[in-house]
Amino acid sequence: MGTERRRISDHDLGPRGGVPGLRVERRPGARAAARSRLHPRALWRARWPLLFISPFFVLFAVFGIYPILFSLWLSLHEWRGIGPMRWVGLENYRFLFGDGIFWGSMRNSLILFLIYVPVMTLLAIVLASLLHAGFLRLQGIWRALIFLPHITSMVATGYTFRLLLETRSGFVNQALGVVGIGQVAWLDDRWWARISLGLLMIWAWLGYNTVIMLAGLQTIPTEIAEAARVDGATQAQVFRQITVPLLRPVIIFSVTLSIIGTFQMYTEPLVLTGGGPVRATETPVMQIFQTTFANLRFGYAAAMSYVYFAVIVVITLLQFRFVSREDAG
Amino acid sequence: MGKDQRRFDPALGGTLSRRALVQRATGGAAALAAVGAAGAQPRAARSAQNTDLSGKLTIWGWEAAIASLQTVDSAFQQAYPNITLEYVQKDTGDVYQQIQLAASAGSGFPDISVIEDSHLAQFAPLGVLADLTDRVAPYIDKVNDYKWTQAQVDGRTYAMPWDSGPVAVFYRRDLFQQLGLDPATIATWEDYYAAATRVKAELGASMMHLAKARGESRTFEMLLWQQGLGYVDAEGTVILDTEPRVQQTLEYLGRFWQEGLAADTESWTDAWYQEMANGNVVTIPGAVWMGTFLKSFIAPEAAGQWGVFPLPVWTPEGSRSSNDGGSALGIFETSEQRDAAWAYVEFHLGREDSQLTMYRETDLFPSLETTYTDPMFQEPDPYFADQPVRALFAETVATVPQAGIYTVDYQEMNSLLTAEVQRFALGEQDAQQTLKAAADAIRERTRRA
Repeated sequence: MGTERRRISDHDLGPRGGVPGLRVERRPGARAAARSRLHPRALWRARWPLLFISPFFVLFAVFGIYPILFSLWLSLHEWRGIGPMRWVGLENYRFLFGDGIFWGSMRNSLILFLIYVPVMTLLAIVLASLLHAGFLRLQGIWRALIFLPHITSMVATGYTFRLLLETRSGFVNQALGVVGIGQVAWLDDRWWARISLGLLMIWAWLGYNTVIMLAGLQTIPTEIAEAARVDGATQAQVFRQITVPLLRPVIIFSVTLSIIGTFQMYTEPLVLTGGGPVRATETPVMQIFQTTFANLRFGYAAAMSYVYFAVIVVITLLQFRFVSREDAG
Repeated sequence: MGKDQRRFDPALGGTLSRRALVQRATGGAAALAAVGAAGAQPRAARSAQNTDLSGKLTIWGWEAAIASLQTVDSAFQQAYPNITLEYVQKDTGDVYQQIQLAASAGSGFPDISVIEDSHLAQFAPLGVLADLTDRVAPYIDKVNDYKWTQAQVDGRTYAMPWDSGPVAVFYRRDLFQQLGLDPATIATWEDYYAAATRVKAELGASMMHLAKARGESRTFEMLLWQQGLGYVDAEGTVILDTEPRVQQTLEYLGRFWQEGLAADTESWTDAWYQEMANGNVVTIPGAVWMGTFLKSFIAPEAAGQWGVFPLPVWTPEGSRSSNDGGSALGIFETSEQRDAAWAYVEFHLGREDSQLTMYRETDLFPSLETTYTDPMFQEPDPYFADQPVRALFAETVATVPQAGIYTVDYQEMNSLLTAEVQRFALGEQDAQQTLKAAADAIRERTRRA
């Protein structure tokens, strides 16, 4: 989970991903060309290259397309993982739309997103700007330090956070006690548990987002900021009026990843809160996992996965529309 | 052995409750206990060699279970020289997931696997375990009655019970003495409650652990099981909101929460261990394996401080014990060497000497009742101030009733109930609303009456 899920591939940064300098132009007539290439004779002529690229497609069909289609089929059945599947039609979907626990987990994701993503994004921009500005010595060390939490095992980080945030014996509450602040129920109260999870997410993902922002900053020509400074702009003005607007596509890209990441969150809440208290930090993926492997309701879990997938697609499409409008403007 | 607590390991993640954590804890404890066991010779004389059965048996289990089974292996190898054994150690949750995967694939099963009772009821009906009904017939009357419930589907038996989890109350002798409290006077749960108020008022401590927002319903389940109650009755009908004693039991726990008589600490955390070790919590209503945990890693230095008394009762003739956890060995339908596999299972679990070796060396309490007359049960236990604790568990385990806790839908029911009980503990709803909500959710999702 964790590290794989937001690794950037060229595809992510592709035509409409919005990272400056990486835009790929689409040739006119490309589609017609593609059609002609699918002609049997053309295919035969290209048999050797096709053979050499086929391993990917074979593996993708077996491990990608087949499971996707099978889940769809599965979502129309009741199945305990073994034995005969019982056809139930749309019953799983019907039940799902009234399933308060599932929609509660979606709501949890939304709340978590609002709790940590704005703060994390802002911190990432600020940190990236500081690193980019070059007035810090030992840049490499700072970059490594900022990125370090991201490559630390989430299980180790999560358990450390649990120890620190324990209400009565945790270090954080003891430290707060010294300053005269009473005990905070970091993990025992619904809202505090969500905030604690947000803190863990910021700790684990801030470095990652900082690196994305830094990459973005490095594509912004320095002349623009220089020109502004010549015109008498202060450092703060340059940041607000020049840097942030030019960075916008990258910010939106990073926020998109964070949205998807939040809805896919699994390891972090599992280790920190186990989804509690009272399901306040339970996420859709935790629900799907439990439904599949603990409750052995494969069909229902498949239906959950499809609905959850649809929600993520809708959110991502909205994001992309937003981005392309920015590009046009 | 404790119920599988999977939460620890995000890779298997699982039931989202805390499953692997306890398992690791269990593993650690029993592994510690097993260290001294290596090479220990079984005490009783073994039967003659059987050279007819041969083959290689693959056995799945987790660390503690394998360490325990291996204490009997040298004797087994003498008796069955042509059977070789291959143990495959996995995390508890992995065992179940991989049985699932093997089942979906139709291959890849071991010959034998250790399965906890809490999961056995889920796997038995799936048709992957071999029908052992005829083979276990001689043992039906020799094993704790309630152990068969999880292993049976429609009157057929699919596993051989290994260990039981009889429950009693572990208590701090020194602190009881300080209060002038005689554990023999705590015969009913009302007595226990009265003692709790004194513990709070005079020691400023908690009678037991009972987490609110991060609770896991385990104590509640244990108290229900003691009364032969559970999520469902023998017919599978949900009884949480129809059986008044369930509500009375929850209301009883509610008094501990409302009056601050219990420590609100999540189970299996460092704080939880510390509070037991440092006297902030003075009793633990827990299964026999809790004693192993106390000795090995929770309070290893507290020898002489702890004692055990039987579970208080709800009614004068009620059971003085309950059950929490326990496991069994199952043979897979796909195994081509079922005779050899059964020889292994029978040798390890059906023989008094084997069960006693495993109990002595790795502290897994035998389900095989014919072991209870062994003098070993009368031995004083120095950790418990020379109290013969084994005898206490052996005497009370016979009274544990059948209960509808570990059912085919146990994981799901437990998760649905736990969230509602957490709300109750936080004072957001009363006991009746809690049980109604949990029962409705369970009925709706598991399609029960």
